[in-house]
Amino acid sequence: MMREDLATAQTQAWQRVAAPGTWWTGAERVAIAAETRHARDCYFCAARAVALSPLAMAGAHERLESSLTDVAVEAIHRIRTDPGRLGETWFRRLCAAGLSEEAYIELVAVVAVVTAVDTFRHAAGLEPLPLPAPTEGAPTQDRPRNAHPGLCWVATLAPEDVTPDDPDLYREHPGPRERYGANIQRALSLVPRSMMHWWDLLEAMYQSSREMRDFTHEYRAVTHPQIELLAARVAALNRCEY
Amino acid sequence: MDGATVTGVPGGEVLLALVDAALGRDPDVLVQARAAVRASLGLTALIDATAVIGAFDGITRIADATGIPLEPAKAEQTADFFAALEIGRFRAQKV
Repeated sequence: MMREDLATAQTQAWQRVAAPGTWWTGAERVAIAAETRHARDCYFCAARAVALSPLAMAGAHERLESSLTDVAVEAIHRIRTDPGRLGETWFRRLCAAGLSEEAYIELVAVVAVVTAVDTFRHAAGLEPLPLPAPTEGAPTQDRPRNAHPGLCWVATLAPEDVTPDDPDLYREHPGPRERYGANIQRALSLVPRSMMHWWDLLEAMYQSSREMRDFTHEYRAVTHPQIELLAARVAALNRCEY
Repeated sequence: MDGATVTGVPGGEVLLALVDAALGRDPDVLVQARAAVRASLGLTALIDATAVIGAFDGITRIADATGIPLEPAKAEQTADFFAALEIGRFRAQKV
């Protein structure tokens, strides 16, 4: 009883996890996915999640063997297990330890995709998808030249600053623009392909911006109010202010 | 948050229970919650509801991992229940 577009979006998202990204190889992206799953069993994460101050706790993660640095593993585990207490101090420490903001954003996107798909399938009583086999290829290392700091912890690319060299991340062609450029849509825009990777999945799991605002029609088997109730509850349990 | 809270949304109580169970650690509670949604709203609604839960379990991490601010217009529109729900307490815990 799964909508075809939802099934397709999951398959596409999983294939994209395995493909070379902008800043990480396919193998590294799959390693990020694996570590995202593994984080839920990390003893250090469990202890830190209940500590009064997460940054004050010393210790090491129970991590998988991979080429990922300890800094990347810290980012993955913390985002997966304690997202509501993430702060800019923590983020700046990651950068000082060598994780670039571009690589960080791509990592965030992979963690989000894996979390979304895994949580959905767990909630629905479906078996988790096996991790995909990575595909070969080098990261493109394309940074949008008009990405600017100021909105959040990392630089972002506003819709009005998109150039012909950038992918159509806000879906402006042929027009009108489908992704309006809300802050939450700009959050991953420093890595446009990651932003598109995430939003293609999100819109199939939730709704597109247009569908969300069209109260004359129900696009899902749950109504607009039911959808927002679900969303609000998840956000509250995750202690997400946005 | 009390799972028995009246929401004013048809099926609201079973949907809230589904979220709590999906993000919790008790598999038996999740089985029961899933069955309740299916009985009340149907299988397709269950799938779509769990898709929304998954979507927001992901997107909340994006928001929190990037420090993205709420737009002023949205903050103004939601100021009343922001205060009522004490959402600002989350901010004090960020480091």
